[in-house]
Amino acid sequence: MKYLHVILSTLHALLRQTGAALGLGFLALIVLVAVFADLLPLDPLGQDFIRSLEGPSRDYWFGTDELGRDILSRVVFGARTSLVTAAGAVVIAALIGVPMGLIGGFFGGWRDAALMRMVDVMMALPAILFAMTLIAVFGRSQGAALLAVGITGIPGFARIVRAQVMSLRKRDFVIAVEAFGGSAGYNMFRTILPNSLSQILVQVVVLSSVAILLEAALAFLGVGVPPPTPSWGEMLRTGKTYLHEAPYYAVLPGIVLTLTILAFDSIGRGLSRLIENPGETAMQGTLK
Amino acid sequence: MTQNSFRPSRRTVLAGVGAAALGAGTIGLPQFAMAQDLKGGTLRVGLPFDMTNYDPMQFSTVNFFMIKNLYDSLIEYDENGEAMPSLATEWTVADDNKSVTVKLRDDVKFHSGNAFDADSVVATLEKATDPERGKNVFSTMSIVKDWSAGDAHTITINFNEPVPTKQILDLLQFLLPIDKAGIDTVETVPAGTGPFMLDNRKVGQSITLKRNPDYWRADQPILDGIDFTVFSEDAATASALESGSIDLIYGGSSRTAVRLRDAGYQVLQGPGKLVQVFRINSTRGPFQNKKFRQAFNHLMNRPAILKIGYAGLGEGTALPWAPASPAFDPSYDANYAYDVDKAKALLAESGLSPEEMTDWKLLVYGSEQGVVAISQIVQSSLEEAGLKIELDVREGAEFIDALLSGDFAATFGGVGNVQKFPSRVATNSIYRTVDNPVFGNPHPHPAYVEAIKQVDTSFGADVQPAYDNLNAVLVDEAFAIPTNSYETGLIVADPKLGGFTLDIDNLLVGRTIGFK
Repeated sequence: MKYLHVILSTLHALLRQTGAALGLGFLALIVLVAVFADLLPLDPLGQDFIRSLEGPSRDYWFGTDELGRDILSRVVFGARTSLVTAAGAVVIAALIGVPMGLIGGFFGGWRDAALMRMVDVMMALPAILFAMTLIAVFGRSQGAALLAVGITGIPGFARIVRAQVMSLRKRDFVIAVEAFGGSAGYNMFRTILPNSLSQILVQVVVLSSVAILLEAALAFLGVGVPPPTPSWGEMLRTGKTYLHEAPYYAVLPGIVLTLTILAFDSIGRGLSRLIENPGETAMQGTLK
Repeated sequence: MTQNSFRPSRRTVLAGVGAAALGAGTIGLPQFAMAQDLKGGTLRVGLPFDMTNYDPMQFSTVNFFMIKNLYDSLIEYDENGEAMPSLATEWTVADDNKSVTVKLRDDVKFHSGNAFDADSVVATLEKATDPERGKNVFSTMSIVKDWSAGDAHTITINFNEPVPTKQILDLLQFLLPIDKAGIDTVETVPAGTGPFMLDNRKVGQSITLKRNPDYWRADQPILDGIDFTVFSEDAATASALESGSIDLIYGGSSRTAVRLRDAGYQVLQGPGKLVQVFRINSTRGPFQNKKFRQAFNHLMNRPAILKIGYAGLGEGTALPWAPASPAFDPSYDANYAYDVDKAKALLAESGLSPEEMTDWKLLVYGSEQGVVAISQIVQSSLEEAGLKIELDVREGAEFIDALLSGDFAATFGGVGNVQKFPSRVATNSIYRTVDNPVFGNPHPHPAYVEAIKQVDTSFGADVQPAYDNLNAVLVDEAFAIPTNSYETGLIVADPKLGGFTLDIDNLLVGRTIGFK
C-alpha cells in the first residue's frame, strides 16, 4: 500500500505538469494499442504484392511496405516488441541493480567495494557492443535483446540506489528503526527502499527510453528481432532502402519512435522536477 | 577439325562495338553512339564495393569492374555467346576433341613492357592448375591434361577426355594471360595486357586507371583514364550520379537502376546474369524426402520474388540457366510454376508428419535486403501450404561460413556461369558433383552426377538429349530450386556516355566507352 500510495501521488503530481501529462498520455495510448492490438482490425504479416510500397491512403493510413504489408499495423505490433523489451530490461536491471545498491550502500566496507567494482566492470562495457556480443552467443531473438539491454541497465540502478541509501543511512528515522531492534533487512527494504522510490522511478523511465532506443539500434544494425516480427528499428532499417521511392516507410515509424522517446523523457523530466521540489507531491518523505 | 580464324581490322572492331552496343539487353536507350563519334576524357565510376586483389583468376563479382580493364582474355564472347578473337587470333579444335591449338597475337605487350607470347600463357596455365593459386579457374582446368608451346606464338592444350567444343571455348574465354615476370605478385601488382594500367589505389576508397599507350587494339581505349570511387552505400552512389559527381554506376542494385532509368539514365543489362537458387540441404531432416523437396518446385512465387527482390529486372526461371545457355528451356517455367495445391499434394505424398515438415529454419542473408524480402515471401508461401517455419537471419561472414560449409537446411544463394556450357553450373558449390561442401562425398544425387557426366561426354546428336536429361533430373532431384535470373554488374550511366560493350560475364569493359 505504501508503494502504491507513492506511485499514485506521483502520477497525480505529474499530471499537473503539461509536458509530463502529454508524455503520459502518449505513452498510455501506445501501451493500450500494443496490449489490445489483437482486438484491432490490423494484420502486420499479410502480404499483398500488388500493392507494395503504396503511399498513405484510406485503406493504408501509413502506406504499405515492400511486401505490401500495412505499415500502421506493423507500427502498432512493433510497439509490443519495443515495450516488452523495455519492460523486461527494466525488470532485469532493477531486480539485480537495486539489491546491489541497497547492500553496498547500507553495509559499506568490503561488500560495497566488491559490488561497486562489479558495477565498474559492467559500466566499462559499451552497451551496444555488449548487446551484440550476447546476441552473437545466444542468437537473434527478443529474449537475447531484452537480456542484453537489461544487463547493461544494472549499473544505473545500482549506483543511484547506493547513493540514495548512503544519504538516508544516517538519517534519524533509519537510526530510530535500528534502535528499536529493526533488522538490517527490515531497514533496507521497509524503511530505506520506499524512500528511494522516486529516484528508482526516474531510473525506470530513463532505462525504458534507453532500452527502446537500444532495441531499435540493434534491429537497425540487423541483429534485433528476426523478421517477420514487426520492430520499429527493423522498419527503419528496411525503409532506408526505399527512402527515394517510399519516404513514409522509414519516416512514419521513425516519428512514432521519436515521440515515444520524447514521452519517456518528458515523464523523466517531470519526475526530476518533483524530486527537486518535494512540495509539489507527497513522494518525498511520505514514510517519515 | 573445327577451325576459327579471324584477324580483326580496325573497321571490324569498331563494327563489333557498334553491333554490341545496338544489341539486346539495353533498356531505355535512344541510340548508342558509334565508337568513331566518341571522345576521350576521364570516366568517373561509382562502386558499391571495393575489390579484393588484382589476380584475374580471383573471379569474384567484386573484381568484375577491374578484370577486363587490366587484362585481356584469349578469346571473348559477344553478348549472344559467339566466340570472338582477342589475344588468340585463331583456335583449332582437334577432330577427336582431345586438344585445341591456339595461335596468339604477336604484337602485344604487357604493362611491364614484356612481350606477350606462349611462355606467358604456359605460366598462366601452370597457375590455373595449382589448387592454391588457380582460384576460380582451377575447377575449369580439371579437363586439361597438359599443354605444349609449338613456337613463340602457338600453344596446344590437351584434354583428358574428348571435350565438347563449347566447353573448350569456355576455357579459352576464362584464361586471362598474366605476365610471367609478375605472376607471383599479381595479387598486389597487376600484370596484364589490358587497355588500362593501374595509376593509383587507396584501399577502400578509390582506384585510378590510366590508358595503356601501347594497347594492341587500334584506337582503343577511347578514354584517357577511369576513376573508380567506392561508395559502399547504394543510395549514396545513386545520389552521386544524380548530382553529376560520377558518370556511371557499376554493380548497383536493380531497384536503384529502375528508378534512375525512369529518371532518364541509361541502364544496361548484360547477358551474364546470375540465377537465384533456393538451396536445399538434402542430407538434413525432412529434405531427405524427395517428395517433400519436389513440393518446393511449386512453392516459389517467382513473379513476386522477381518484383519485390529485384524490381522486375530479370526473368522467373525454374532451371539454373540464363537465356544464352544452350540448356535453356522455358517450358519448365510453366510446368513448375507457383501452385500451392500441387505443393500440398506432394507434401501429403511425402508421408511426413506436420512436425517433421516444419523441423527446420530458413537461413537468410540479413545483409541483403532483397534476400530478406524474398525469404519472407517464401515463408508466407510455406505458411499457405501449411508449413510454419522461422527465419534464421545471419549477417556477413556468419552467413557466408554457413553457406559454404553447408551448415543450413535451406537458404537462398545466387549461382553463376549459367550462360555458358551447362556443366559449368557445377562450379557453384550447391551444384558441385565432387567435394560438394553441402552434400559431401559420395554425392547423394547420383542421377545428377551422371547427368552432368553425360553432358560433358556427349557430341553431335547426343548433345540436346543430354541437356534435356539434365533439366529433367534437376527438377526431379530438387536439391536446388531456381527462382529467377537477376543482374550482376548492372551499369547505370549518364546519357552522355556511349560505346558500351556487353560482356558475357557482365564485366565492365572500359576500352570502348567514350563521351558523346
